[in-house]
Amino acid sequence: MVITGRVPLLLLLGLLPVVARPSPSTVWLWLVVVSLVVAADLLLAPGPATLTVARDPVGAVRLGHPAASVLRVGNPGKRRVRALVRDAWQPSAGATGNRHRVDLASGDRTTLTTPLLPRRRGDLPALGVTVRARGPLGLGARQRTLDVPGVVRSLPPFESRKHLPSRLARLRELDGRAAIRVRGPGTEFDSLREYVRGDDVRSIDWRASARTTKVVVRTWQPERDRRVVLVLDTSRTSAGRVEDVPRLDSAMDAALLLAALASRAGDRIDFVAGDRRIRARVRSARARDIAAHLQDTMADLEPVIAEADWASLAGAVTEFGRQRALVVLLTPLEPSAVEEGLLPVLPALTRHHRVVLASVRDPELEVLAGTRTTIDEVYDAAAAEQAMVRRRQTADLLTAVGVDVVDADAERLPPALADHYLSLKANGLL
Amino acid sequence: MTDTAERAAPASPASAAAGSGRRRGFLSRHRASLLIALGLVAAVAVAALTGGADTTTPMDPDNAGPAGTRAVARVLDDKGVDVVVARSADELESVPVGSDTSVVVVLPANLGEVTVERLLEHTDGAAHLIVLGADIGSAEALGAPVTPSNVDLGEGRDAGCVDPLFDGLTVEVDSAPVYEGGDCFPGDLGALVLRPRDGLLLFGAEQAFTNDQVLRADNAAVALRLLGQDRRLVWYVPSLGDLSAGESVSMTSLLPRWVFPGLWMAGLAVVAVVVWRGRRLGPLAAEPLPVVVRAVETTRSLGRLYRRAGDRAHAAAALRRAARTRCAERLRLGSRFDPAGLVREVARRTGRPETEVARLLDPPPGDPGPTTDRDLIILAQALAELDREVKGP
Repeated sequence: MVITGRVPLLLLLGLLPVVARPSPSTVWLWLVVVSLVVAADLLLAPGPATLTVARDPVGAVRLGHPAASVLRVGNPGKRRVRALVRDAWQPSAGATGNRHRVDLASGDRTTLTTPLLPRRRGDLPALGVTVRARGPLGLGARQRTLDVPGVVRSLPPFESRKHLPSRLARLRELDGRAAIRVRGPGTEFDSLREYVRGDDVRSIDWRASARTTKVVVRTWQPERDRRVVLVLDTSRTSAGRVEDVPRLDSAMDAALLLAALASRAGDRIDFVAGDRRIRARVRSARARDIAAHLQDTMADLEPVIAEADWASLAGAVTEFGRQRALVVLLTPLEPSAVEEGLLPVLPALTRHHRVVLASVRDPELEVLAGTRTTIDEVYDAAAAEQAMVRRRQTADLLTAVGVDVVDADAERLPPALADHYLSLKANGLL
Repeated sequence: MTDTAERAAPASPASAAAGSGRRRGFLSRHRASLLIALGLVAAVAVAALTGGADTTTPMDPDNAGPAGTRAVARVLDDKGVDVVVARSADELESVPVGSDTSVVVVLPANLGEVTVERLLEHTDGAAHLIVLGADIGSAEALGAPVTPSNVDLGEGRDAGCVDPLFDGLTVEVDSAPVYEGGDCFPGDLGALVLRPRDGLLLFGAEQAFTNDQVLRADNAAVALRLLGQDRRLVWYVPSLGDLSAGESVSMTSLLPRWVFPGLWMAGLAVVAVVVWRGRRLGPLAAEPLPVVVRAVETTRSLGRLYRRAGDRAHAAAALRRAARTRCAERLRLGSRFDPAGLVREVARRTGRPETEVARLLDPPPGDPGPTTDRDLIILAQALAELDREVKGP
């Protein structure tokens, strides 16, 4: 039951009879007349439920990129329906221009497109389609909110993909395809070819050279078919925001870049995310679209206010297989959380695998430590220094256990982690 | 049959729960509005039950204050006189006045000429019309062209007349108008009682009827005798509106007649606008809020903790330890450096005396540390300066 803007206008029109017959009774009579007309219009208005509303699946879109939701509205009833349709979405879905005027004769169909611009990662649901069907005079309208489920999946933005080409170029340098060869203890034999100036003399294969008149060198290619296990921590420490971006999102960015790079390098990628329990798991994906697959998996991961259960996460890593792997732990270097939760399970991991811990550093900590003008700032600086010392000690502790620590700002973490991976690969340490 | 019942059984509690959930939803959603409505109803009921609030109008029979006349009205009521109060000319005209009725008029200064005419016309059939405290204007309007003068009656004044109504009584009030040519309670300047014509009586000492002064001398007896002559008493308290009724040209009579109905119509239109704009197109779209924790939050709280505790020694130790570690790193002394060696190296690098560097970085065990906030700030800034020097250009 809704009235439209025409009702106040109609009431104001009542000033004419009031001037003609200035008496309070005229006012009440006019009010009664208007009420009766509005009531009749409301009774004659078609029911909003007579419209059929269906929604096309919206699918997934990267955060910050536009999408559109399409509603298919049909009028199977016998009467013409003029209505205002609002397609309500969760505000962070960025549904602008979601009010549509609809004028459907009997049997007509139409499509309504609502543009979406997701501003937040995750599954953003549609909240219902409200139909306000007005009566023949346009004075009253009947309103009903229909449940038309729909969801737009907003994927992690993968901002660090801009670093991918340069890292791929370096990967090719490692590979036998490029002119510069790398020789290392763990690299695999690729082929023999004629020596050209500039080649490392240590790579000359004397036995093969003896059979020909030319000097022959061995070429090598980096290891392939290694395993990379990405472990994403979604516990309370990942909820902390660095420059208003949750650490979890920065860690996702780093994981996506590493996954994209490793899949091009021919490695297999396993992914597990969790806190107190396992939230997501992707197994042995080698396809070239691993990044897209991971993005889809990560889309609805949110930080949970709970402590990480590293024993179960380590168990999940072991379940992927006993083959030696590069295990990348994407977790903040929080001294207390790491020392109490992670350290006890690390020896079991480092025995079988090479473990890297990638952490988002907070540049604000250094700013805090460097500002020392007032007494409050000095106390804050002391606390920041204390925190940094503790972080350093924890990092040293981890290094002593045999874990590589990559600690960088949110912006720099993805390339730093990719570079670390490349250096491991170049040295044949996988 | 049993099969159906069993299958239906799990469904019915669920639907019942859903129904009650919807009802509970309505109640909880509108709880505030319901409470406010209930409160308003209760307030109105209480106001209606406890009757009209006491008035503060002087000479009003419902006024229990010093200037009111509730005492006299109550006593008259107890003695079997039916007291009816009229608080405006219109109210007075709605009260039937017969030969068994006295009409008492108080605050005659509030009577306009037209009101006096209406009063006289309406009370024509009354047994007695008594006007208390009439001043010059109202006396003239009532048909008694006398000039009252105010006198002090603090000493009391005897009746001094043969009228059995006042025989042997004394009136004692602070001050009252007296009328020339009056009969009872005479004095030098005039008497308190004046009967300009049959059935009309002007009594000057209106203060004798108030709660404050009714107990002085024989005031109470005068009041009861004067007002208790008949079975009914109409107590007319003119309002301020009666002063100007029908005499002045009001603003409203200058406006066109349709203005007020037109304003009503416009008001209704405004209400309609409110109803029109107040209805949302569907429910509000809610956003489940994310957890917002700044990563540096714990560090800041640690800083606040230091500040609350005023633990300067601890803060200074933390700052020195961090400075030592950083200097050792910059001078590449390794993670296990000797403090004395570090001081030596830093002194050599910066060109400062070793004692000064040692005081900053590694004070001897007996050092009391910074004793005031100012000392702590100076130390922190000196450490930062030292770090910059070690870092070099």
